[in-house]
Amino acid sequence: MPKSPARPKAAAAPEIMLPRVSPLADVAIQGRFGADRGAPGVEFRVRHPMSIVTVIARQGQGSAVAAALVPHAPQWAGPDQYFVIAEGRGEGALYRELKSALDGIASVSDQSHGRVIIRISGVKARAVLAKGTPVDLHPDECAMGKSALTQMAHVGVHLTRVGENAFDLSVFRGFAESFWEWITEQAEEFGYMVR
Amino acid sequence: MLIPCPHCGTRPVEEFTFLGDASVKRPTSNDPASMDQWFDYVYLRDNPKGRFDEYAHHAGGCRAWLVVSRNTATHEVYGCVTARDYAKAGGKS
Ligand SMILES: [Zn+2]
Repeated sequence: MPKSPARPKAAAAPEIMLPRVSPLADVAIQGRFGADRGAPGVEFRVRHPMSIVTVIARQGQGSAVAAALVPHAPQWAGPDQYFVIAEGRGEGALYRELKSALDGIASVSDQSHGRVIIRISGVKARAVLAKGTPVDLHPDECAMGKSALTQMAHVGVHLTRVGENAFDLSVFRGFAESFWEWITEQAEEFGYMVR
Repeated sequence: MLIPCPHCGTRPVEEFTFLGDASVKRPTSNDPASMDQWFDYVYLRDNPKGRFDEYAHHAGGCRAWLVVSRNTATHEVYGCVTARDYAKAGGKS
């Protein structure tokens, strides 16, 4: 059988430089909304673009993975599962870094395009969240940096405390718009800013 | 009804999907002679009054499979363990 000609070596794939559009670009309009007296009780900010990577430890590797992730400030996302997020990294950079760092002990997947992170902050942030989640967000129960998996308005939400009155809410991209409509409506009585 | 999820803490029952009796044992044999065992495993369920171990999927939380032990008459919850730990303990909670 004749030898098939050697395949020409593929040129390095060109870096794709499409601008990433937030799925909330059309709905998260900046400005002040809802009750308009006094200071707004709540502020929203869509964190975009983000690098979001899920890490799931292989069987028996939970503590090894937890130790390896310490410098990355992992967010708990289930038993032996974590989200690692970062701002300002190139496309796929965080994923590649974790993939090689955790080779053989964890499954790593890039969810940067699959999830949307909304930051809610302000004195009424907890009051808004309490309308949707049964998770106790009092600082005694939910310390700084702690994460919980929950549901709000039937949407699965990964929630992380990032400040005294600030939380990151990570939802699937496909639910982001519906979730945005729900949560901003809950904030109307307190007045809210979108930044 | 509140379920003490070993991963998430106490959560309302609405976050869980129940699959049924956790105490049934899957037959290990594919031998046609074991058909009666398979019939029992697939179709026959007790409907006990009192303590009952049930599979629960924490769909609205950690997404782990759990076994919730509760009283079917009073809904008192005795405990909740991961399905893995339940299986390792030989089907006892
Ligand atoms: Zn759970």
